[in-house]
Amino acid sequence: MFLLDDLLVRPFTSLAGIIHAMAIEEMHDTDAIRDDMKENRLLYELGERSEEEYERRAEALRAELDAAEQARERLSGKVEVKGR
Amino acid sequence: MTDEYLYTYGVVERADLELDVEGVCGATRAFTVDCGALSAVVSTVDTLEPAREEANLRAHDDVLRAVMEDDGGRAVVPMRFGMVFKNHEALENVLREGEHEIAESLESIEGCVELGVKLVADADAGADAGTAGPGSADPDWEALRADATERLSAVSVREAEGDLFSDRLVLNRSYLVEQDDREAFNAAVDAIVDAHGDRLSVQYTGPWAPYNFVDIAVGRA
Repeated sequence: MFLLDDLLVRPFTSLAGIIHAMAIEEMHDTDAIRDDMKENRLLYELGERSEEEYERRAEALRAELDAAEQARERLSGKVEVKGR
Repeated sequence: MTDEYLYTYGVVERADLELDVEGVCGATRAFTVDCGALSAVVSTVDTLEPAREEANLRAHDDVLRAVMEDDGGRAVVPMRFGMVFKNHEALENVLREGEHEIAESLESIEGCVELGVKLVADADAGADAGTAGPGSADPDWEALRADATERLSAVSVREAEGDLFSDRLVLNRSYLVEQDDREAFNAAVDAIVDAHGDRLSVQYTGPWAPYNFVDIAVGRA
């Protein structure tokens, strides 16, 4: 968590800082997680994933989404993302 | 005493409806609230914030389907999930304000249903062809997409593009189709399966209330 904590208190003045911010944005990309949830459902409906596999994946993605939303909330207004 | 609010599923041309159907938040019937030339289809609920969970989302859609199938087919302007009004007066105010816009939407979807089509590339289709994935601008997939689009557009009134949320999605669209053209649309989907079924699966869904073909923003009490 060193990087996250570090980002909370320092403004971005370097390329390294920008890259860190982009990494966090990517790490907590809720849209991408929602896309994965939709894809999981689609592949289950097409019969490519068993119910067990679908449920297991859905639960993992829900947890990932919750964590990402909490992280974004925590970092909201404190992380600047450039170059996207 | 528990408060009672009005959960709103959609709006129809003025009609007196009473449906025994499982609704949002455990409701067991849906009925209409009239205002001018329109009627809103509602259930009573005890919360202003119904949980956005699968059972409720499904119930919202089930009620709309029941309305669509009522009396041999009925046009309905669907509301988004979660529209709850404190009382009849608040709902009637919204209907009165949006009457013209809603009536126009009803007219535009009269006699039509929404159908969904997703074309999903087989897991190994891109690799087999030695090409980039189906979501890319690869000419091979573009040609397939164009062929499918042409077949479906020819038998529909309007279409709406959906998100390509998976790399395997070749196409994700909703189509507004005349009831009389349902058979022709089914045949077009079958033709796509015949032509391209060796590389993809087709997920064909509906009929849905025409969520993607009405765009009405309403206030909420």
